[in-house]
Amino acid sequence: MLDETQQDVLRMGSLVEEAIAKAVDALTRSDITLADEILRFDDYIDDLNVLIETNCLNLLALQQPMASDLRVIAAMLDIVIDLERIGDHACDIAQITKNLAGAPPAKPPVDIPRMAAKAREMVRQALDAFANRDAALAHAVPAKDDEVDRLYRKIFRELIELMIREPASINRASNLILVASYIERIADHSTNICERVVYTVEGVPKNLKRSVVEFNAAIAQADEMLHGHEKASSE
Amino acid sequence: MNTAGAPRASDVEATLHERFLALVQAAPVGVIVADARGQIAAFNPAAAAILDVAAERAIGRTLIESVRNFELDRRIAAALRQGADSDGEIANVANERRLRVRVVPLPRADGLRDALAFIEDITELRDLAAIRRDFVQNVSHELRTPLTAVKIMVETLQGGVGSQAQASFLDSIARETNRMITLVEELLDLARLETGKLQLTLAPVDLGELLRKAGETQAARAASLGIELSVRAPDAPVTVLGDRDKLMQVVLNLLDNALRNTPSGGRVSAGVRVADGAAELVVDDSGVGIPADALPHVFERFYVVDPSRARNKSGTGLGLAIVKHMVESHGGTVRAESELNAGSMFVCRFPL
Repeated sequence: MLDETQQDVLRMGSLVEEAIAKAVDALTRSDITLADEILRFDDYIDDLNVLIETNCLNLLALQQPMASDLRVIAAMLDIVIDLERIGDHACDIAQITKNLAGAPPAKPPVDIPRMAAKAREMVRQALDAFANRDAALAHAVPAKDDEVDRLYRKIFRELIELMIREPASINRASNLILVASYIERIADHSTNICERVVYTVEGVPKNLKRSVVEFNAAIAQADEMLHGHEKASSE
Repeated sequence: MNTAGAPRASDVEATLHERFLALVQAAPVGVIVADARGQIAAFNPAAAAILDVAAERAIGRTLIESVRNFELDRRIAAALRQGADSDGEIANVANERRLRVRVVPLPRADGLRDALAFIEDITELRDLAAIRRDFVQNVSHELRTPLTAVKIMVETLQGGVGSQAQASFLDSIARETNRMITLVEELLDLARLETGKLQLTLAPVDLGELLRKAGETQAARAASLGIELSVRAPDAPVTVLGDRDKLMQVVLNLLDNALRNTPSGGRVSAGVRVADGAAELVVDDSGVGIPADALPHVFERFYVVDPSRARNKSGTGLGLAIVKHMVESHGGTVRAESELNAGSMFVCRFPL
């Protein structure tokens, strides 16, 4: 069952990647039919989330897994939360496409599809790292978040300038800022997935967003404090 | 071999299996074989190319672990568990391709099933269908609009109007008719260019002199639009071997495009020079510019960057496509450079 549950996590990941691609495609082409399809699609993602959670809990209760199996199950319970949130963000983008349906046609800034492509690549590679237990890849993926953040800041600035220049664009521009923020969150979620993969493989929690040196120093300090307290108690 | 000299059943089966695998490897379409446990037993080079997944990453793993396509995984699972046959189109999000997939169950002697999937990349086919659809839609729209206007004006004239209104309507009918004729001629030119059937009458042509003439014909229009039009050509001839009428069309189309996309108060300048062993025709403007994602498409037929920005919406969207084909028919190249809200520059290079 552990193996099949891992396959289900990858299935959920595949659905989520497709949802992101379709959501941005629907936005770019103002395709309401596709936007509706994404909103219905989300039910499959949520169903898989429930199935995986249930299977993980059953594994914990019935098989009392140890060591790496235990870490894998703990990781999966966290990963599906991130995948489910990514699916929700795809739905949010689809909903914005529907909200903007009546507005005058205008293409979203070219950087939004570019940002979405990078975020989707991060999700894919995070799941590749999970599928292959590839800690090196899991360490490398979060660095791409810098480029996503840079694009987000650029889009934000351009849309604010647009709103100042053309007040009639405020409705559309503010919605596109939301779209960019959802994509930025998708990239953050993929970094979370990478952290779970690193934990699964290396057995030590790591925060890949902060510098490794800083975070490990904090862990070492906490560890010292804990052992110092235990030693003092035993004496 | 058995004692009678005939091959053993197991040998025959082994030979057939080898031949089957050789067939799979050589197939021009993607072929994936999944065993009863859902693990990939065969993954041919065509499948690896279509799905962008190396065979060694797929063999021995499940489809969702290696290829990570939910729909393909679902169809293979349905073939393995329920013996379901399927045939249809799916998207492969990982490399943005559209695929035609046929999945069939392969019953085994032990009662279990394997699954066989055939995969074809139909992305180009779908893109061509979309281009054809858009083309038909655009041509219909470009013809229907002036035809509707002419119809209304004719009906009004038939109903009887005063002589002043009559003159105005007849002018409009003439203008719309010319617009339709221009569209049809440009379409025919484009068709002839694309099929290599355009006849060029080659002779030495002074590009500088051509540009000066073209500038004179556009001067009044530029003035009425409040745009400063300047033309620079050296006194010494810059001679290329070409069809004078077709080269004039190139110059006029580029000037027309620049004037359409430059607001009042802006400038359009055109020049001819010799650079790096070739004759260059350069047209640049201080207009609205072209977004980076649109730049690769500006020479496509009917491509309009943003219809709401074009000053004069009577453009056919074919001008730059014709420029590209005409220039290339003369052994030349054309490129566009642009910055949004800062203007554009088009450079045509011709062999001397």
